[in-house]
Amino acid sequence: MSADKIVVSGFRHFFQSDSGPVQATGQIDLTIREGEVVTLVGPSGCGKTTLLKAIAGFIAPTEGEIRCDGRLVRAPGRDRGVVFQELAILPWRTVRRNIAHGLEIARVAKAERDKTVERLIGLMGLVGFEDRYPHELSGGMRQRVAVARTWAADPDVILMDEPFAAVDAMTRLTLQEELGRLCATTRKTVFFITHSVEEAVFLGDRVLVMTRRPGTIKATLDVPRHGKGGRDWDSFTGDPEMRAISEQVMHLVHAERV
Amino acid sequence: MIGRLVWRLLPAAPALVVLAAWFVYWTIVQPPPSVIPSIPDVVRTGIELAIGGRLLGDIVSSMGRLLGGVAVGVATGLIAGFIAGLCRPIATFLNPLVVFFNAISGIVWLPLVIGWLGIGHALATFLIWNTVFFIVFQNTVLGIQLVPEVLEHGVRALGGGRWETIRSVTLPGALPYILSGVRSGLGFGWRALIAAELVGATTGLGQLIFSGSEYHRADIIIFGALLIGAIAMVMDRWLLAPIERRTVVRWGLVATSRGR
Ligand SMILES: Nc1ncnc2c1ncn2[C@@H]1O[C@H](COP(=O)(O)OP(=O)(O)OP(=O)(O)O)[C@@H](O)[C@H]1O
Ligand SMILES: [Mg+2]
Repeated sequence: MSADKIVVSGFRHFFQSDSGPVQATGQIDLTIREGEVVTLVGPSGCGKTTLLKAIAGFIAPTEGEIRCDGRLVRAPGRDRGVVFQELAILPWRTVRRNIAHGLEIARVAKAERDKTVERLIGLMGLVGFEDRYPHELSGGMRQRVAVARTWAADPDVILMDEPFAAVDAMTRLTLQEELGRLCATTRKTVFFITHSVEEAVFLGDRVLVMTRRPGTIKATLDVPRHGKGGRDWDSFTGDPEMRAISEQVMHLVHAERV
Repeated sequence: MIGRLVWRLLPAAPALVVLAAWFVYWTIVQPPPSVIPSIPDVVRTGIELAIGGRLLGDIVSSMGRLLGGVAVGVATGLIAGFIAGLCRPIATFLNPLVVFFNAISGIVWLPLVIGWLGIGHALATFLIWNTVFFIVFQNTVLGIQLVPEVLEHGVRALGGGRWETIRSVTLPGALPYILSGVRSGLGFGWRALIAAELVGATTGLGQLIFSGSEYHRADIIIFGALLIGAIAMVMDRWLLAPIERRTVVRWGLVATSRGR
């Protein structure tokens, strides 16, 4: 049993608006263990992004607290990397320099920096596009840059907010497999938001389902990762256990249709 | 090949249209030269002024004043714009002042400023600053406010601090507006410069035009106007456009030729 990495307790959040406070989430309690991949599905507007941004340190919870490694989260930090729903890669940096940015900030020596960037460029299938600017890339490639940039900085925890939402189905399959491989080999703690039930089951060690706004976590399903049913689509689709879990999640999500 | 050539010459086309209209009008109406001079008259005047040696000196002193005033205006506008753009309370404090003083043209200050600064370089610099500063300031503040917040968040999640986000997000993100401010600032700087030279100088293109108007020499006035416009165009093409090509255009923040 590994240590608790992220502990969310008694979290509730309200946004202030002109017409009074808007409740974004119901009460959420959540523990993510070290090295675990936790995926989250839920209807649009239920508060998924709010929860992720609070864990990242961009939103101060109205109620409750969030701890990372036992320390209270007060601000963003390089221990918690984020891939934003809007993809926050910088248009004025080339692919290479976007991916290297976190390492530059951490003042990693150039040689080592180049090595890491080179490795991620290869891993993410961006070879040949190193010196292009984001506007010269396809949507799917931009998302890969966003993932690579966060991964390169080597945070303990990676928070991802629907990173593959805007790519076509073909590219998505590849990206999901790549991400699955990354998760398995690096043993990072990952929190991954998605709209896709299949994606949630495919990537997660544990799948969380949220209710509609103000969202709470209504179910947690463990995804056993033994033998078959690993993180490649061939074995995943052929595995009846995986299909059963997907169906179960699908039922839970359907009940929350807005 | 021919298409490319046409495209490259296209910016010159409006000038040709105007010249043609001028020529046709002048041949038909034959107005007195003190109202509208003919094209050959203006060309002859230009050549005379150039050979007489006065023209080069006028251009040099005007350019000196312009660049000095614009440099001070851009620098202060950028600094103040960044401070206001990055710090809400300061923006709230400065905004009414900016709106207030922006409405008051340099000419209003002129009698006072002549008393304070005398007639000379400082006067021209002040008048140019008075227009350039506000344009650059307001564009810079707007540019900073329009940088998507998520880009800054992205850098902070990579471990970047305040300085790093300013350097790698705010500055390049606001650049399209900053450059647009500098471009308008240069244009309005010319206007202020000529006004300043009418009263507060003995040399410069403003004085050249002023002397033309004293002797009812429309050819000198029109030649001066053509020269100012031409210099402004050259500066835009050789100074600002290359910077844009290498930055905001290269980054895909603005399209040079939409729909091509
Ligand atoms: N800055 C804000 N100010 C006011 N209300 C907000 C703000 N951000 C989000 N909300 C509201 O909070 C609720 C939860 O938003 P959130 O972005 O967390 O949803 P989400 O689950 O990520 O949705 P989606 O799947 O569409 O991305 C929404 O109803 C939204 O309108
Ligand atoms: Mg969201």
